Amino acid sequence: MKKYLEVALGIFTSIGGFLEVGAIATTAQAGAQFGFRLGWVLLLGTICVIFLVEMSGRLSAVSKHTLQDAMRERFGAGFFLVTTIPGLIVDWLVLAAEIGGVALALQLVTGIGYQWWAFPVAIAGWLFMWKGSLGLVEDGVALLGLVALAFVVAAVKLHPPVPAVAAGLLPSLPRAEGATYWFLAVSILGALISPYLFFFYSSGAIEDQWDENHIGSNRFTAIVGMGFGAVLAFGVMLAAAMVFHPRGIEVERYEQVALMLVEPLGRPGLYLFAAALAVTCFGATLEVALGRAYVFAQGLGWNYTLNSPPTNSARFSLVYTGMIGSAAVLIALGIDPLALTVFSMALTAVTLPLVTLPFIVLMNDPAYVGEYRNGWIGNAAVVGISLLASLIALVAIPLQLMGG
Amino acid sequence: MNLTRDILDQQVVDRTGQRLGKVDGVILELREGEPPRIAAIEVGPVTLARRMHPRLALWVEGWLRRLGPKSDGTLRIPWSKVRAIGVDVRVDLVADGTAARAWEEWLRDHVVRRMPGTPQ
Repeated sequence: MKKYLEVALGIFTSIGGFLEVGAIATTAQAGAQFGFRLGWVLLLGTICVIFLVEMSGRLSAVSKHTLQDAMRERFGAGFFLVTTIPGLIVDWLVLAAEIGGVALALQLVTGIGYQWWAFPVAIAGWLFMWKGSLGLVEDGVALLGLVALAFVVAAVKLHPPVPAVAAGLLPSLPRAEGATYWFLAVSILGALISPYLFFFYSSGAIEDQWDENHIGSNRFTAIVGMGFGAVLAFGVMLAAAMVFHPRGIEVERYEQVALMLVEPLGRPGLYLFAAALAVTCFGATLEVALGRAYVFAQGLGWNYTLNSPPTNSARFSLVYTGMIGSAAVLIALGIDPLALTVFSMALTAVTLPLVTLPFIVLMNDPAYVGEYRNGWIGNAAVVGISLLASLIALVAIPLQLMGG
Repeated sequence: MNLTRDILDQQVVDRTGQRLGKVDGVILELREGEPPRIAAIEVGPVTLARRMHPRLALWVEGWLRRLGPKSDGTLRIPWSKVRAIGVDVRVDLVADGTAARAWEEWLRDHVVRRMPGTPQ
């Protein structure tokens, strides 16, 4: 019974980690501008993230190391310092985007500008971490996050043409607007494959003291949890493709994104959209801030834990405090949250190989995973997809900045 | 035993289970006519920075000595205190009050305890 409960919780946790502001914004824009034609990117990203989440859990269960502990140990101090800086910058921007997502959801419902919500959102998130009630948040986000099913309901009610949707699952070259097509493609990959998720997940596995017996349930959690998140994200893309694409509407503001639920679901659609955006982004806000605090604490060997008061892990607690406080400033200053989101997701894609390539080395090192080494399919999928994402992003970001 | 594989960059844990830091450096003793042996392990940001560049280490040390607890956070642990090397390096001492925890304790007393909403 306890095992089933663990799996259920794992699935819920991964919903919070998968569908957040990045996935909602990028898939909505992709659907609006290119219809179903970027479906294959969603499929590719999902395959990659399933492999990576499964690997994070397996690494921790077998080696008893978190991902960051193992990286510092295996690749040394220089590697740690060199990869920490770009990771910190990208996570900081992503964190601001997530805070912006919650703030915008509140703006949709209250009419008060999103800038004013930046600090209240940051303080609420901080209090949950500081008071050590993360379990409550995880379960709450997981359960409330089910409102995101509204996207799937909307997509089904809009009756998307099945052959066209299926055709989108096969890679195709853009007919026009190539720079935007590839920029959105890598933004989707960056939104789905988020390094903070792996650091967070492997730390959770260590805090819950997983061992070899968890390998089976871990694989199940990765496939079902991430697969479920992918279905939700796919719902966003389909709904956007059906509502916006035929009318040639490009999504430039979050208020527009809400319309894709209003058309099929009526007025409640607006509230469902705001709730889904707020809940998923709030969950992601905590995961990003904690993920980065874990990276520092584990990379430098500090105490870290959420199971006791912050006085037992002062440096760890101050890292997430500083992260969430400074990221809120960016939103309070009035930076456009949608543009920030898509841009930070594309930047995530650029930096992916910095995490995934060493990760793959660890997963093939018998000193860490013994007989539970990666198979060639997992290796090939992760290396291929993350290198592809990074290379396309390196080309697409400058093109988008010049053209956009 | 392989120094860089089994010791360097491993987690150091004290007698009470506190995380002290990483093995940022290993100190070898050179002996006349005999093979060198490990004298101590060193924990701390200055030791870590020295592995990148000596100037970075001076810069880090300067700031750490000027701010907060005015400690550079370097702790040298004699090899005789090392009890076990497995997932972590276990050492026979108590971290509290040592240089390795100087910043942690200073931040705890001067910042964390003074924040509103800190559970005491």
